[in-house]
Amino acid sequence: MIYIVTALPCEATPIVKKYDLKRDDACRHFTLYRGDDMFLIVSGVGKMASAIATAYLIAQNVKLDEAGAEEGLAIINIGVCGTLHQRYPIGTPLLIHKVIDHETGKQYFPDILIEHPFEEGSIETHNDVVRREDVLSGRVELQADLVDMEASGFFQAASRFLAPHQIYVIKVVGDYLDVVDFDRQRVAQCISGALDAVDGFIKQVEGLCRVEGEVLTPDERRQLEKVKESLRLTVTQSHQLVDMARRYKLRTGRPLPDLSEFAQTRVKVKVEGRKALERIRRLLLYE
Amino acid sequence: MSKFSHIYIEERAAAYPVAQHVLSRFPGSIRVMIRHYKDVFNRPHQDFRRQKASTKLILAVKREPFLYPGPEVCEDFGNPNFYYTSPVLNCVYDCDYCYLQGLYPSANIVIFVNIEEFFKAVDRQLESGPLYLCPSYDTDLLALEGIVPYASRWIEFAGTRQGLRIELRTRSANYSAIAGLNPVEQVILAWSLSPHEVARRYERLAPPLKARLTAIKAALQDGWQVRLCFEPLIKVHNWQQVYREFLDEVFSIIPAERVFDANIGVFRMSKEQFKRISRLRSDTDVFAFPTVCREGGVVTYEDEKELRDFFYQNLNRYLPEEKIYG
Repeated sequence: MIYIVTALPCEATPIVKKYDLKRDDACRHFTLYRGDDMFLIVSGVGKMASAIATAYLIAQNVKLDEAGAEEGLAIINIGVCGTLHQRYPIGTPLLIHKVIDHETGKQYFPDILIEHPFEEGSIETHNDVVRREDVLSGRVELQADLVDMEASGFFQAASRFLAPHQIYVIKVVGDYLDVVDFDRQRVAQCISGALDAVDGFIKQVEGLCRVEGEVLTPDERRQLEKVKESLRLTVTQSHQLVDMARRYKLRTGRPLPDLSEFAQTRVKVKVEGRKALERIRRLLLYE
Repeated sequence: MSKFSHIYIEERAAAYPVAQHVLSRFPGSIRVMIRHYKDVFNRPHQDFRRQKASTKLILAVKREPFLYPGPEVCEDFGNPNFYYTSPVLNCVYDCDYCYLQGLYPSANIVIFVNIEEFFKAVDRQLESGPLYLCPSYDTDLLALEGIVPYASRWIEFAGTRQGLRIELRTRSANYSAIAGLNPVEQVILAWSLSPHEVARRYERLAPPLKARLTAIKAALQDGWQVRLCFEPLIKVHNWQQVYREFLDEVFSIIPAERVFDANIGVFRMSKEQFKRISRLRSDTDVFAFPTVCREGGVVTYEDEKELRDFFYQNLNRYLPEEKIYG
């Protein structure tokens, strides 16, 4: 599952079209789009707005009761940015390896564990629009290659929930800090131009974040559930049972032995359950 | 993504000759300047397993303390002032049972570039008496010698100090990297050895047993003091036969009379680390045999004594009692 956060509707539009995402009208607080394996939220401008939307998106949609739900997703902040460096042509997409919050000075680092088609760079998130003359006159000092207004808020919020290899920032160079009239169409073109590369990247990320299959099959889990119930196992004993079953399969490479005898036993007092668990232990670990 | 695709460099570490040396080994790596190595190394929720597939390097400057008292679970080989030090954090190998997985929040390798300050700390410690020091516990310095020449730096340093004895522990077959150095009396090269079956199943990226034995033989021939570390002893199916044949193989290649000493250590780990690693490693059966938590919060096999005694008796066929520790 891929979550995407953009600041502006014009940044979202090309992505919505490419992945055929549908507007979720039930979401009252943000503009939210859904697809089969993707959510996109439009946060609004600024690091605070980005942080709020990111936290909302993750907290609302990750089903914590589903094993591996958090582990199996990745979140990407996609948008345009500015730079002072003319060596980056307009429309160049960059994968960010360092995010600096200009206000706090804090730095954040995504974990880049996959091959990707992008040039990499650093980005500095400011609270206000940074203009070329501010930098050239020394009123604003830049420490990063690129400038934006969202990345640090996005990253901080996302890293509350996710691992650093699940959080990415892709920024497309949109201007040289010299914007006079904001041109939505040009922003959309910048994003559109990067989407083939982004698409390849998303596939890589999905591969990286895929959750490995569970050792126990659904049937075996059901069988263990029955055993837990009939033996009236405590929470700790239940964990021990599942752990032993998992180890048995890893060690022997065979399916679990038949435990139906234990699933049919009705224990009256807990000590009987403990004794039965000890028999299972011998069966699973000492065979 | 390839190993060391990114090198994170602490601002204050960049100018050190060691940092320059490491960077020159990886001209194609992306360099990211950082303020403090913990900003990268200690990030929350890092995935040790996934990071192992694309490990990054971090170059940093270590601050005090440089030396730590030897842990109780580690053999001191009869040395009274037993300390360890960590000029590098983490290892290039990927052993299923490795305690580093539960110790560090990241699989990335931190190289502390201010090696001279480690040496100064050793000199200060030597003022109060002899010192037995292990600088290759939380890493494998010989395996890393091609990246950062710390095994040779420690050997050269030890050779100039009275009262200092150093153990360089390794699983590497990279003896050729230090073969040009003269053997130093103060240094013990300590090879960790496991049966082929254990190495094949659980020591990913580490050289096979035969390659390690060849390296040991060469080191012995050159006159180095060599310690054989039979730890952790890991239980596998039919372990009696596996370990008996393993020792026969080791001593069919290694002349027993030239071995400095050896130690035996059945798999053991602090309860906290064991818990953390068990959670991380659902992909291995290395912990599948029954374990217990002993007094002091150390997890080991239920029948640890049986395994240890069996191994001791068989090792004793080749080495005298006074050369066997643990």
